[in-house]
Amino acid sequence: MAKSILTLKGISRDFYDAKVRQRVLKNIDLEFYAGELAIVAGPSGSGKTTLLSIMGLILKPSEGRIYIKGEDVSDLAEDREATLRRRNFGFVFQTPTEIPALTILENILVANAVQGTRVPPALRDKAQSLLASFGLSEYAHVKPKVLSTGEKQRVAIARALINDPVLLLCDEPTSALDAENSALVLDTLKGVSRDDDRGVVLVTHDPRVYPYGDRVITLEHGAVVHDWRREVAA
Amino acid sequence: MRSLVAYRMLVHDRAPTAGAVLGVVAILFLVGQQLSTLFGLFTYMSVLVDHSDADVWICGKFTDNANSTGQLPVRYVDRLSGLADIAWAEPVITTAGETRRKDGKAEGVVVIGLPAPRLTGGPWAFERGSVDTLLDYDGVTVDSRDLELFGDPELGDVLEVNKKRVRVNAVTKRITSFGGTLVFTNRTKAREISNLPPDRCSYILVKLKRGADVDAAVAKMRAVLPRAEVFPKDVLSRLTRAYYLINTGIGFSFGFTTLMSSLVGIVIITLTMYTSILNREKDFAVLRALGGRKKDIFVIVLCQAVIIGAVGIFLGFLLLALFLNGTRDSNLASFVPLWFPFVHAAFTLALCLLGSLFAIRHATRVEPATAFR
Ligand SMILES: Nc1ncnc2c1ncn2[C@@H]1O[C@H](COP(=O)(O)OP(=O)(O)OP(=O)(O)O)[C@@H](O)[C@H]1O
Ligand SMILES: [Mg+2]
Repeated sequence: MAKSILTLKGISRDFYDAKVRQRVLKNIDLEFYAGELAIVAGPSGSGKTTLLSIMGLILKPSEGRIYIKGEDVSDLAEDREATLRRRNFGFVFQTPTEIPALTILENILVANAVQGTRVPPALRDKAQSLLASFGLSEYAHVKPKVLSTGEKQRVAIARALINDPVLLLCDEPTSALDAENSALVLDTLKGVSRDDDRGVVLVTHDPRVYPYGDRVITLEHGAVVHDWRREVAA
Repeated sequence: MRSLVAYRMLVHDRAPTAGAVLGVVAILFLVGQQLSTLFGLFTYMSVLVDHSDADVWICGKFTDNANSTGQLPVRYVDRLSGLADIAWAEPVITTAGETRRKDGKAEGVVVIGLPAPRLTGGPWAFERGSVDTLLDYDGVTVDSRDLELFGDPELGDVLEVNKKRVRVNAVTKRITSFGGTLVFTNRTKAREISNLPPDRCSYILVKLKRGADVDAAVAKMRAVLPRAEVFPKDVLSRLTRAYYLINTGIGFSFGFTTLMSSLVGIVIITLTMYTSILNREKDFAVLRALGGRKKDIFVIVLCQAVIIGAVGIFLGFLLLALFLNGTRDSNLASFVPLWFPFVHAAFTLALCLLGSLFAIRHATRVEPATAFR
């Protein structure tokens, strides 16, 4: 049995649009496991990004509880949440979010050292070898603007991996990419998920991405309408 | 790594960084220039008091500044001589005069008549000649900065003050008074130039014996001279500065320009730093999402403010030094006390941090969730 990483219990989220309450997520129960690439699918506006933000402790749910490896993390102070984010999650956003002022290497390191800690040489080596594993070594000391969008997304994956997260949270990481780059990024993520201590959650509304998933969760109007898991040969 | 991020962001967004640095330079230079001029004028105001070799000044009743001391009976000196703490007491004469150049142009001067042979209270810096030349019956000094007013005289040239013959025996070095163009001479000549009765003087300089208690001595002098004002030197110096500061509007004028320069600088810093943060909201959201706490964002923007402040202060002082050096030989008053650069740097840095408040506030409030938008 795969290890449970993240558990959502009764998660709801309201937004207020001109004082009118809009329930964007409705009573969601989900559990995510290591070694798995889970796809969260659904039409635009179904609440995928909202769900991902709540899972990553970036957004507070209006109701419900969140557990990381069984530990309740629903009611933590902001600083503690930030620290948990840094330690447990890697984020890949829809569009590249490298900080333009920093070099590629620094962009990766900052995900570790953003709380003001020193960068030990070992971490630098790790960042370099992550870049190397994505074939991006030559870009270590250039600014992000030199890279193509596909390359930037792979840097973002490297950045997401620098802290050895238990869960990689990716919001439509391939929507800005052409088919070839898209396949490259998805293969990379698939590889990342093949780890007994790590899971990947990938939000998409592109059916071409589904085949990469070990599991496809479908959201509609803020509710889980379908949760399919690939049968694994024993 | 937060300071590196701060530094990199500043270098990356050169234009707003340069703008904010300019704001700091504006504060440092403009305020520094204003205040060094004010301090320069201060030294002009109390120049005679500050450089007199006396500990105590005795002036006419109701005197409130060293440049209008009224009149005193010379015999007050005798009353003082009975007091134990006094080393010497010398009456000095000052009088307004008018000199006329060869081409006929008239110029008002202030004549200071010093008691021979000590010539105390007299000039202290010379470009040509020395103080002893004032012992000649008609010897006077003129200042290096005022030579043109007197028609560029050579040593030994004869001038007229109030139609009385005087001879330029020495040229003083940058001795400028707020009260007027100074001409030093001996007391005999000064009395001749003035129409002061022979038993009168303008003020009495008193030197105390070594180790004497100034306050106690002043109290005793006040007791024997109830109809005169008795000032310790530093008190009269302060009074004189305060007098001009208030009565001439200089204080208000310099205060106002200083305030304005500071305000303009703060506004520049605030606007440039704030817009630069607005353009970088996404970066801060990403940093927050990656695990940055509010305090980490705070540290980053604070670092930026400190870097901007430090660079601006350095450039500002460079500019100020160039300016002060370039105007050294001009008539522009300027004086920089030793403590001033430190206090001014701290003041400027404080204003720079004040200017960064909005930027800091905005940056720390960026929601990490916007990184996903
Ligand atoms: N900060 C917010 N304030 C108000 N409403 C919001 C906010 N964020 C999201 N919503 C609303 O919540 C709903 C779900 O948004 P969400 O971004 O989670 O959808 P999504 O499934 O990611 O859509 P897409 O595929 O277009 O990215 C939308 O109707 C959106 O307008
Ligand atoms: Mg979305």
